[in-house]
Amino acid sequence: MRLNTIFYCIGQGLKNIRRHLLFTLASIATITACVLLFSVVYCVLVNLRYTMQTVEETVGITVFFEKDLSEDEIQEIGAQIGERPEIREMRFISGDEAWEIFSQDYLEGAEEMAEDFAGDNPLADMASYEIFLNNVEDQAEFVSWLETVPGVRRVNASSIAAGGMIDLNNAVGYVSIGLIGILLCVSVFLIHNAISMAISARRDEIRIMRLVGATKAFIRTPFLVEGLFIGLLGAAIPLGLVFFLYGRVIAYMEEHLAILAGFMSFLPVQEIMKVLIPVAAALGVGIGLLGSATSVRRHLKV
Amino acid sequence: MIDFENVSKTFGKNVRAVRNLSLHIEEGEFVFVMGDSGSGKSTLIRLLLKEIEPTEGQIIVDGEKLVGMKRRRVPYYRRKLGVVFQDFKLLKDRNVYENVAFAQRVVVTPSRQIRKDVPRILTRVGLSAKYKAFPNELSGGEQQRVAIARALVNQPDILLCDEPTGNLDSRNAWEVMQLLEEINAGGTTVVVVTHSQEIVERMGKRVIVMNRGDMIDDRQISGSEE
Ligand SMILES: Nc1ncnc2c1ncn2[C@@H]1O[C@H](COP(=O)(O)OP(=O)(O)OP(=O)(O)O)[C@@H](O)[C@H]1O
Ligand SMILES: [Mg+2]
Repeated sequence: MRLNTIFYCIGQGLKNIRRHLLFTLASIATITACVLLFSVVYCVLVNLRYTMQTVEETVGITVFFEKDLSEDEIQEIGAQIGERPEIREMRFISGDEAWEIFSQDYLEGAEEMAEDFAGDNPLADMASYEIFLNNVEDQAEFVSWLETVPGVRRVNASSIAAGGMIDLNNAVGYVSIGLIGILLCVSVFLIHNAISMAISARRDEIRIMRLVGATKAFIRTPFLVEGLFIGLLGAAIPLGLVFFLYGRVIAYMEEHLAILAGFMSFLPVQEIMKVLIPVAAALGVGIGLLGSATSVRRHLKV
Repeated sequence: MIDFENVSKTFGKNVRAVRNLSLHIEEGEFVFVMGDSGSGKSTLIRLLLKEIEPTEGQIIVDGEKLVGMKRRRVPYYRRKLGVVFQDFKLLKDRNVYENVAFAQRVVVTPSRQIRKDVPRILTRVGLSAKYKAFPNELSGGEQQRVAIARALVNQPDILLCDEPTGNLDSRNAWEVMQLLEEINAGGTTVVVVTHSQEIVERMGKRVIVMNRGDMIDDRQISGSEE
């Protein structure tokens, strides 16, 4: 196509938008609603996941050893355990350290009582390893392996917390896929209908264009331009909303829903936008183009 | 230029709009098509435009076979034709100028050319003063002239007119006929559907008469043109 024609097509596309402003607004509103819903769902999910990750990082496994082992022997076993690839982080806590932590946590303000034990550490044979895994899901298997390691007396793991978290993680994953799938279908359907109506309103025009020798590409282009424009606008509005409201919602939650907010860890808005902008743009443009392309096809048969 | 070879067109089961028609029209000819309402005249035009497909037979225009033509070819084939539709087919939401320019835009004419051609053709059909008006602000005859201007603006090889003077008084009708004759003199093949015995007799051209889908007459009339 020549430049001249391209400009004409773009011009016609924009004119169409003005001519059928109501349809256009309806279409934009539909995409806006869908992208906004998608964005909100995404924000919630991604923050839940982020919270979980943060929690995961603080869930550890504690390994205790047989009482007759010396600290050197324990560290030898520790080195053996440390070779496992599941491990992200591993820390040795000697009997003395354990006592120190215990007395700080529980004997605060009762220093004389702590003094009584001085020199006779009741936790002397309680040297342990604190282990953090890369993936909480591996925990159950890893723990049963640990229990078979010679010299290991007991393995402490907050299995309930870990198990619950895996369930929540998976649930969040399934719900997100399902929700996003439904939203996508709904928005494609709505946009197809909206543009179909807009095109029906121009059915005569398309027919006449065909009869005076317009190629399909020539007829299609203005509608695609229109779809593209609608899609971009439909994506830009919710993106703007998310950008400006994200921080405010978090601030509101911290003020009025302190319990929830205290448990949650929030991603910064920049991180959210890094993913949302390209995804929403692709979504908006994709829905817009798909909607206009499928509906224009039906009217190009003359 | 135009050949109908045993062409039939049946709508539905038994509406036989055209029956086994064979017809040859030379390049540069001027042909009138007459006949009662419903005799199949518009169907002929629509067949030529490849708006509808014949049920049987083949149509050859300027060496191109219409039956079996590739879909991609159709728009380019249509550009050889200028058509004045019986119902005008103007775009209601565009003014006179845009309605005519539209036909040129569709075939990718440079804007400079459009700005030159449209006023000239509007002047030729006597509508230059109304170029800003919208179709619903025009009389039937004025709309008809916009349709004629649109058909002519691309200087087609073949001009098909479905009752181009149906809404015109006899003076205006005659002016349009003069215009068509001028176009024809420039080498364009012209086919005109009309109900007006008066015009046909005055113009003195070849006349084809349809009756219920059959061609019942094809003759040359000696004109009484002064
Ligand atoms: N799309 C259609 N479906 C069914 N029948 C049709 C269709 N188009 C035309 N016909 C029928 O075909 C016959 C010929 O119609 P056509 O329009 O060619 O007549 P015409 O000679 O142009 O008449 P007029 O002088 O009134 O314009 C008519 O009987 C008409 O009812
Ligand atoms: Mg007719």
